Amino acid sequence: MSAAAAARPIHVRPELVRTPADARTVGQVERPLSALERAWNVDAVRKAAVLAGFVALWELYTRLAGVPTILFPSFSETCVAIVRAFTDFRMLSKIGFSISLLLLGYAVGLAVAAVLVVLASIWRACADVLTTATAMFNPLPSIAILPLAMLWFGLGTFSVVFVLVHAVLWAVALNTHVGFQGVSQTQRMVGSNYGLKGVVFAAKILIPAALATILSGMKIGWAFAWRTLIAAELVFGATARGGGLGWHIFEHSENLRTPQVFAGLFTIIVIGVLVENVIFRNVEIRTVQRWGLQR
Amino acid sequence: MTERPAQLVPRPEYERAALERAVTADVARPLSLPERLSEMDPVRKLSVLLSAIVLWELYTRLGQVPQLIFPTFRDTVIALWDGFANYDLGRQIWTSLKVLAIGYAIGIAIGAVLSFLAVTTRFGSDILGTLTAMLNPLPAIALLPLALIWFGLGAKSMVFVLLHSIVWPVALNTHTGFMSVPEALRMVGRNYGLRNVRYVAKILVPAAFPSILAGLKLGWAFAWRTLIAAELVFGATAESGGLGWFIFASRNDLDIPGAFAGLLTVIVIGFLVENVIFRNVETRTVVRWGMQS
Repeated sequence: MSAAAAARPIHVRPELVRTPADARTVGQVERPLSALERAWNVDAVRKAAVLAGFVALWELYTRLAGVPTILFPSFSETCVAIVRAFTDFRMLSKIGFSISLLLLGYAVGLAVAAVLVVLASIWRACADVLTTATAMFNPLPSIAILPLAMLWFGLGTFSVVFVLVHAVLWAVALNTHVGFQGVSQTQRMVGSNYGLKGVVFAAKILIPAALATILSGMKIGWAFAWRTLIAAELVFGATARGGGLGWHIFEHSENLRTPQVFAGLFTIIVIGVLVENVIFRNVEIRTVQRWGLQR
Repeated sequence: MTERPAQLVPRPEYERAALERAVTADVARPLSLPERLSEMDPVRKLSVLLSAIVLWELYTRLGQVPQLIFPTFRDTVIALWDGFANYDLGRQIWTSLKVLAIGYAIGIAIGAVLSFLAVTTRFGSDILGTLTAMLNPLPAIALLPLALIWFGLGAKSMVFVLLHSIVWPVALNTHTGFMSVPEALRMVGRNYGLRNVRYVAKILVPAAFPSILAGLKLGWAFAWRTLIAAELVFGATAESGGLGWFIFASRNDLDIPGAFAGLLTVIVIGFLVENVIFRNVETRTVVRWGMQS
């Protein structure tokens, strides 16, 4: 072994001396970005540019292709329609009508869901009832009940609220129940160590620990309720005189006033964006993100 | 503070008398059959379902509720049978599901292309971000009147509206899923020299699958609701087909057991899709891969 190693010649690498390169010839290593590049790196600027691009495309398409207003109004016509709709107070009263219905349905739905879930977290039999009911009713589009609700409660506010409660209830109850079940045993034991029981236990331990899931349930519930409300108003618009944003769209599309339809769609988008990206986002930032439950 | 030597207090010695033989009779008692049955989840759920049906039947029979307001369970089952036998309920289901499947397939394809563009270029991500922020909160059904103007009554406007209800939740969830793929996994992909489509398909999609699946489920839920609502509106404006129309038409003919039969069918289909199809996909993918319990 050692004889073989000794027999093999050792290659010695020749020594090597590098002369340092002249720093002056390297040139620009770090170039300051130009104002344009820096502006393009700002998220808001790029998104605004995308939005402006869409608007420009829309306006150009409708103007140059000569699309009739009935089919696809241009952006400027839509803007005029929006301003017209908001200057007389009909649009505001329609928004108020829709939102008040939505809030009522949402509040009742949340309350019923809370009661069901608290009962389910106390008794196993209630948990069985809740899981069976959510498995059955969650996939049932609440708008499908509207024809029956109209039969039971008549045309009007009550049937819409009934349908809205159905839309909110199951999504929220399902998510809250799943969230409660996922609360770790350690946190539960901390609660029972403090002697918390029943409703206080749910309010102080379960709800904060499961708030991320509860919030996502509330967001889904809001999305379902919002869609159901608009659909209900569209159907009501077809069967009776109602009020509200869905009806606004239906009425103006029946009369082929397409710019007004676009104005209604725009209002619906703005309300949706406000609720999802301002209200829910703020609640998330103040609770689950601050508590480190969610990034 | 000065340390004082602690005073040692010796505890007095004591002896315990020998204990009697412990009587360990019923430490582990085998559960009786009803107890074991009530521990089984399916049995408990079935009994909940059965008692709900019994309550329904009892309430409608004993309360003398008119059939026009709330039919008995028996009437509903008969109407369901009757619907399949005489009123083409099977064909209405097929009409609904066909439109839904077409819309779902095209919607997923568009969502995939959009999120692929968004994940490969920054500008694509900006476009997707702006579009989803604007169009995701817009209920798809609100576009139905416009779709009716553009495409007329029929499957085309239905598919258009369904597309709108599927594309945005799928694209949004896929994109956020892609964004939260950990850097380590991305670097593994780059180490293997994966690029573009293969990089997305082999690294990003599996890593973001829970979020993608959540998007698919949300898209299905929105699409299912939109489909029924659109068919209801169609039913209100013109003769058409589909489950929503079946419910609307039955109700208009004051055939309330028929409407209940339609609702029951809607529940069964929704239940099958959510708790059988999606659940199976979940257990075969994200649960098996240990990403979700």
